[in-house]
Amino acid sequence: MALEITEKDGATVVALSGDVDLQTSPAVRQGLLECLETHDKVVVDMSQVNYLDSSGVASLVEAFQVSRKKGSFFALVHVSAAAMRVLSLARLDKVFSIHESTEDALAANE
Amino acid sequence: MSDAVDEIIQDVAGGGEVRNHLGLIAAMTREFTATRDADVMAKTGLERIMKYVGAEAASLFLIDDNGKELVCSACAGPVDITGLRIPSDAGIVGRVYNDRSGQMVRDVSKDADFGAMVDEQTGFTTKSILCAPLSLGDDCLGCIEIINKKSGDGLFGSDDLTLLETLAGAATLAIHNFRLTQQLVTQERERHELELAAQIQRQLLPPAGGPEFPIHGINMAARSVSGDFYDILPLSDGRIWFNVGDVSGKGMNAALLMAKTSSLFRCLAKATENPGRLFDAINSELCETGTHGMFVTMAGGLFDPSTGKILMANAGHEPPLLLDGYGEQFTFFEAEAPPLGIMAGIAGPEGYPSQEIDLAGGSFYIFTDGLTEATTFGGGMLGIDGARALIREHAGESPDLQLNSITGAVRLPGQSLRDDLTMVVIQDSGSSDKKPSGAPVPESDDAVSGQILRIRVPAKADRLKVVRAGTEQAAAFCGADELWTVDLVMAVDEACQNVIRHAYNGWDEPGDIVVDFIREGSSLIVHLMDFAEPVDQSKIKSRDLDEVRPGGLGVHLIKSVTDEAIFVEPPTGVGNLFKLTKRL
Repeated sequence: MALEITEKDGATVVALSGDVDLQTSPAVRQGLLECLETHDKVVVDMSQVNYLDSSGVASLVEAFQVSRKKGSFFALVHVSAAAMRVLSLARLDKVFSIHESTEDALAANE
Repeated sequence: MSDAVDEIIQDVAGGGEVRNHLGLIAAMTREFTATRDADVMAKTGLERIMKYVGAEAASLFLIDDNGKELVCSACAGPVDITGLRIPSDAGIVGRVYNDRSGQMVRDVSKDADFGAMVDEQTGFTTKSILCAPLSLGDDCLGCIEIINKKSGDGLFGSDDLTLLETLAGAATLAIHNFRLTQQLVTQERERHELELAAQIQRQLLPPAGGPEFPIHGINMAARSVSGDFYDILPLSDGRIWFNVGDVSGKGMNAALLMAKTSSLFRCLAKATENPGRLFDAINSELCETGTHGMFVTMAGGLFDPSTGKILMANAGHEPPLLLDGYGEQFTFFEAEAPPLGIMAGIAGPEGYPSQEIDLAGGSFYIFTDGLTEATTFGGGMLGIDGARALIREHAGESPDLQLNSITGAVRLPGQSLRDDLTMVVIQDSGSSDKKPSGAPVPESDDAVSGQILRIRVPAKADRLKVVRAGTEQAAAFCGADELWTVDLVMAVDEACQNVIRHAYNGWDEPGDIVVDFIREGSSLIVHLMDFAEPVDQSKIKSRDLDEVRPGGLGVHLIKSVTDEAIFVEPPTGVGNLFKLTKRL
């Protein structure tokens, strides 16, 4: 599981790749929370995420809650079908801000 | 002891007024509760009391275990009477003990109860006694006795008695506390030892064969160690030795005898083909080394899958049952000889008889009285009729599942078993020229039903991807599509996570998870097995999804994508077995 952070159009894009499971989700959680400490517009690019499990969902939820508390912007983009399946079973598909691309996400924010 | 106490004592010993009662009591109470060594505490405590009250001698008498004598367990002063025993109704001490109230005998020459016997032995002259009981609720642990006031006329006053009674109260609590702690430590050690023994016992049980193996067994201990056992020993020619044994008695003794008998069976079975001769040898050996009055009932023998016949001996064991191939008629086989371990040669000059039984496509059940004596949902005992009914009810299932169902029916939630329950089932496939499958996990070419894959990994997070990969392959083997596979992978992964997070929680080195993929008709069944403590199923609930909280949604995900997700009784009676069913 790799985590790559870049800046794009004023937002911080955290690109995850690989499997987000019980073994790797702690690193994801850590990375997202650290990011949210210093940035107020965070977009998680899930295009390279092959697998997302309940612990990965928990990490995303925790980051989401922190962003709400701080009033920061937090969105998920390029969510694969498998990841969407998990999110919708958990009924979180309507809770997160989910978009097709970083551009769409930022546009929706305005 | 602490400075605080010393100061107060020095003050008094140096002639200071006895003013600081509360201070002394508080300081001594603190010390009493902090001490680990009862003897040191008692002796130094007595010395303090003696000095503080200004007496010549002091002693602590505790009632002994049979309640008839008071024993001096500590003393201070010029004469050492430690170990002295007096009847619990003798002397002033006896009087105080029985009356449960502190007394002062200002002048012993005027008290009829005073016995000069101790003085005669020790050469000490008692003039004045203060004695207070160590009362604990309605009970009394003993007494503290203070003798001869040093100052003035050598006689005590009521102030002295009050002080002594208060100090006695603190001492009582300390002694009681100390004893309780000791008890706890002993209990904990015993419990730990039983746990270790139970672990070793579990390892003595045979590994479970695959669903097509004809003999399966299950053992459930009523307490941590079991007096029951079973064994299954495949020979290289396809025949299989089996047994079920029940040791009289409970606890560690029974468990040790069980381990010995089980090992004897295993070892001697490799040297003979005749169950009767085998039982003779076990009996001789047990009687030679002695069983301390315990004995073992056993039913065991050889099963030949190629002929469908059993050659068996029964030493005083609950009669095994044969259910015919149609699932209708029962035949039972009474024991023809007494249990093992009572007396050498007890089976007569011919020794233990062997009996041949043709299963003829039916199923053979051997069990211990833990089954017939088990309590059912209705509250009554299952009995032999109940056992037959249960067996008949589940006769159509595969042998390993039958055992789960039958024992599951008498394993009531929240209730412990009355007695160890052990059961073995032997199922004859019916075609006597079928090739015997000697290996525990046979291969199957049958694409419609059978085992697809077994994965065994340590329960660690980094192995999850291995399990996911295996799950994908198993799904592909069944021809499932991508969406179906994604769901199954999620369910299996989440179930494994639960094992890692909960079942093996707190283990230094987690045990294994065993995942079996089995095709059954139009469904894929996944068995997830761990070897940790059985999980409390009432605590497993899906989270209410209206709360947006991290964590805990694994169970919900599992149930959303499978047709059934339940815990079933594990075949070895150990750990947890979680069964997922997903229709293709």
